Amino acid sequence: MTVDRRQRPQTDGGRVVPNYAFTAGRTRSAAGTDMPIEALVTATELGVAAAATLSPESRAIVEASREPQSLAEIGALLGVPIGVARVLVSDLAAEDHLAIHLPLVGTDGRPRRELLERLLDGLRAR
Amino acid sequence: MDSVHDDRAGGAATRVVPERDLLPLKILVAGGFGVGKTTLVGALSEIPPLSTEQQMTSLSDGVDDVSIVPEKTTTTVAMDFGRVTIDDALVLYLFGTPGQSRFWFMWDELVRGAVGAVVLVDLRRIDDCFAAIDYFENRGVPFVVALNGFPGTEGVDDDIVREALAVPPGCPIVHVDARDDASCTAALIVLVEHALARSA
Ligand SMILES: Nc1nc2c(ncn2[C@@H]2O[C@H](COP(=O)(O)OP(=O)(O)OP(=O)(O)O)[C@@H](O)[C@H]2O)c(=O)[nH]1
Ligand SMILES: [Mg+2]
Repeated sequence: MTVDRRQRPQTDGGRVVPNYAFTAGRTRSAAGTDMPIEALVTATELGVAAAATLSPESRAIVEASREPQSLAEIGALLGVPIGVARVLVSDLAAEDHLAIHLPLVGTDGRPRRELLERLLDGLRAR
Repeated sequence: MDSVHDDRAGGAATRVVPERDLLPLKILVAGGFGVGKTTLVGALSEIPPLSTEQQMTSLSDGVDDVSIVPEKTTTTVAMDFGRVTIDDALVLYLFGTPGQSRFWFMWDELVRGAVGAVVLVDLRRIDDCFAAIDYFENRGVPFVVALNGFPGTEGVDDDIVREALAVPPGCPIVHVDARDDASCTAALIVLVEHALARSA
C-alpha cells in the first residue's frame, strides 16, 4: 500500500504508521482507527487504470480521489459511516489504488509549529 | 513488511496528484443545540457543508474488563463538516460536533491531532457550553470561546462572560457572526495564534 513517506515511524517514539498498514488492509476491531477522519486520499495511477474493474463503491472512491478527498468526504460521498469508508479506503490502499496522506503531528500529538504558522498565513490571506 | 511508499525509490504506484505533500488539518466546532455550528462551518467552507456519521463505541455501564465481557454499545453520531484549502498542500477541515454532554467522553479519537476547537456560545443559553469548555480544558486542547451574536446578546462585558462561563485565564473570547465568513475567519486566526502561543 502507499502511505505518504513522511509517516514513517518517528524516532520520538510516536507510532505514526497506522495499524491497518499491518493487517493486509482489513480493519478489524481497533485496527484502522488510526486513520483519522481528516486523512486525505488520492488515487494512484494504478488505481485510475484499474477503476473500471473495481466494485461500484471502490470505483466511486478512486474516481473522486483524482482530487484529494478526506475520509469524511468519502463517507459523505457514499452515504456510509466513517468506519465503513475506512475499511474500503484501507483495502484500496493495500492494493496501491489509493495513496493516504496522514496528518503530521509532533510529540505532543498536536500539529507541528510550522504547520500552524502556514495555517495562520493562509487564514490571514483570505 | 515495508508498506511505506518512497518516491525516491520509484515505488510501484505513483500518485496522480503530483508532487504535493498533502497535509490535512482539522479544527472542531463545538457547542450546544442550535448555537450556530452548521452555520459557521458553512460560512467558512468552500463546499456546502457535508454530513457524515461516525459510529462511536463505548463500554456498557458496569463493565470493567473488556477482554472478559466485550459488551459494547454503539452510538451513531452525525457530524457536519466543511473544507478550506489553505495552500497547495494544506487542507483544513472543520467538524461541527454535536454538543450533548453525554457524548463528550467519546470525543478522544476525534480530537486527536486537532489544531484546536471553537466553542460556540449562545449567551441566552450558556448551560450548553460548559461540557465543551471542560472537555477541551481537561484534554489540553487549545480552544477559543466564540460568542455568537444572536439578537439580545450584544454589549455583554467579556469579563462577566469569562466569569460566568468559567473560561480559563489566557483562553481567548471572541465575538462572531456565524453567518459571516470574515468574522469566522477572524475567530480561527485567534485560535491558531493561541495554539501557536501554547506550543512555544
Ligand atoms: N442572528 C443570527 N442567527 C444565527 C447566527 N448563527 C446561526 N444563526 C441561526 O441559528 C439557527 C441555528 O443555527 P445552526 O447553524 O443550525 O446551529 P447548529 O449549532 O448547527 O444546530 P444543531 O446542529 O441543531 O445543534 C439557524 O436558524 C441560523 O440561521 C448568527 O450569528 N446570528
Ligand atoms: Mg448543525
